[in-house]
Amino acid sequence: MNFWFGLLIGLKEISSHKFRSFLTMLGVILGVSSLLSMFALTEGLSRGMKEMLYSSGGMERVEVVPKEPSERCKDLAFLSPGRTMEDANALRKGAPLVDLVSPELSMSMVVTRSNKTLSTGVSGGEPEFLKMGRLKIEFGRPITQADLDSVSRVVVVGPSVVSELWPESPGYIPLGEAIRLNGIPYRIVGVLQYEEISFSKRRREAGLDAARAAQQLKRRGKADKAFDPLWQKNRAVLIPITTMFYDYRSASNPDFSPNRQLDRLYLRVADMALFEETISQARTVLDRTRRGIDDFGFDTREEWADAIERNVKNSRTTGGLIAGISLLVGGIGITNIMLASITERIREIGVRRAIGARQRDIFIQIVVESGVIGFIGGIFGLVVALGLVRILVMLSPAQNTAVITFPAVLISFGFAVGIGVISGLYPAWKASTLDPIEALRYG
Amino acid sequence: MALVEINDIRKIYRVGDQEIAALDGVTLSIEAGEFLAIIGPSGSGKSTLMHLLGCLDSPTSGRLVIDGVDVSRASNNELSAMRNAKIGFVFQSFNLLPKFDVFRNVELPMVYAGVSAKVRRERAMEAIERVGLMNRLHNTPLQLSGGQCQRVAIARAIVNNPKIVFADEPTGNLDSHTGEAILNLFRELAESGRTIVIVTHDNTIAARLPRRIEMCDGRIRDDVEVPVSKTTPLVAVPKEVTAL
Repeated sequence: MNFWFGLLIGLKEISSHKFRSFLTMLGVILGVSSLLSMFALTEGLSRGMKEMLYSSGGMERVEVVPKEPSERCKDLAFLSPGRTMEDANALRKGAPLVDLVSPELSMSMVVTRSNKTLSTGVSGGEPEFLKMGRLKIEFGRPITQADLDSVSRVVVVGPSVVSELWPESPGYIPLGEAIRLNGIPYRIVGVLQYEEISFSKRRREAGLDAARAAQQLKRRGKADKAFDPLWQKNRAVLIPITTMFYDYRSASNPDFSPNRQLDRLYLRVADMALFEETISQARTVLDRTRRGIDDFGFDTREEWADAIERNVKNSRTTGGLIAGISLLVGGIGITNIMLASITERIREIGVRRAIGARQRDIFIQIVVESGVIGFIGGIFGLVVALGLVRILVMLSPAQNTAVITFPAVLISFGFAVGIGVISGLYPAWKASTLDPIEALRYG
Repeated sequence: MALVEINDIRKIYRVGDQEIAALDGVTLSIEAGEFLAIIGPSGSGKSTLMHLLGCLDSPTSGRLVIDGVDVSRASNNELSAMRNAKIGFVFQSFNLLPKFDVFRNVELPMVYAGVSAKVRRERAMEAIERVGLMNRLHNTPLQLSGGQCQRVAIARAIVNNPKIVFADEPTGNLDSHTGEAILNLFRELAESGRTIVIVTHDNTIAARLPRRIEMCDGRIRDDVEVPVSKTTPLVAVPKEVTAL
């Protein structure tokens, strides 16, 4: 007996008990759809986190962070000037493996334009700021060295800021307009490019998200903030670091002396292959500027990247386990029905044996039959999963929730067929070892 | 050499601690082309004998040779192959597969024999034509009368061109007219050279066959060859009955 004949019999058997077969498949359908949805969710999660990592500078961006000095230096800690412009300048001069250094100040400010206000974080940076954060200018010009030198009150704003300050005229390019940052007027010289993650960009370009975009517009600034990794970038407000220092920091210490501390200090590793060497070079340089006090550390993205991997792996394992259990239950359902089905067909099996079917032929027939149940259940499961993922994408405010990948489809489907086949093994063994005489007498 | 040779065959069933000898030393030979009946009351061992002859079971002891192959100690797979190639079965309750039409039912033994689809079709058609059911090709057993079902079963039994056909109470579920028609069909097959063994408890059927083996308590009580001319019909059957 060949495989195709077994397939024919399996299909016939399934179609002659449609409702029963459907109920049997239901377990597999639910199992496959939950497995695939789970894959899609974790894939989306992973992509979102990776894009966020990339868009915030990637692995090569390292932040110099303050740290509690060690026991050895504790009593001399006051000698260290902390994180200042000195660090940035020294790194630029003394650490050739570092290809970009970006010192930053940052404050939360109220941004106003006539009667529109908006509360957002404002950064004071150098020209390197944009490169470090992978930001691009869409209109106008970036902050330049000349702005720094002349302490100009110029500002580069993100596209979300524009749309919130000029809600009445979408698409307006407010170059040359004045806005107030905590009351001080600044002139807009540049507007940043709108950033979106590649997945939603592709979808938008394909015209798939028109409804969602409208919906998003309605709740902009609310729910999206929590999920969209690029929300911050689109709301960026950047002024020259010198201007921020003079306007807001020059007398901000309790004794009205200038606060020279940087809020952030980033450096970029030129060559990831020399990552360790670069960090140690930077450490040597900063040891000098900090006068030997180890009150600084490096926040590398390696941990972040590791954490992404770990998170994704964890949720994949958990989700896989849950989906696996539902598939298992589906498999038990198939076994159960196949057992009932062979009991119903004991006589038929006897006849087949009498006219020359070998044990192997009967075994194959039953396994193929339950494999077919798994196969069809798998197909339905995939269809259900597609719908499910679509609903998830629609419900979730995040731009990158669930992504169905081809390997995930393959794996889920493979599991369905595998479960079908495995569930058929015991009934098939039972059917094939029936005594033909007994089977013929049955019923 | 005879088509079937059995020598001092025993079949012992174990029920609990008890041993029951269903066959207790049976010796018998059947020549090719014979048309014979095995009769006996229930419990006489006739069914067990048929199962052994039909390679559905193996004897506890003794020798059983069918068409030159010693099957007394054959494996499960070898028995399946024997059944498939050399033996045809016709059952009292037809035992057709209810979900398949006439053609598929008849085709089935050849599927297990690994015959190609084209040849399967040709030979199935031939067999169906032989039993006169060409007009019922795509009906399922549920749409057929008992007599028609038994014809399908006969077509299925002969389609692999077996050496020997066993019929277990082939008329038991049929009314007498239809039963006669089926018997006539067997007779025609026998006349065309097939070896046919009918197992029955009905003496009136057995009495009309050329050879009669009577079983009792696991032994052969009587083995008579009746001088019946092969050309005389068993009984005159009206044409319209054959058409059933």
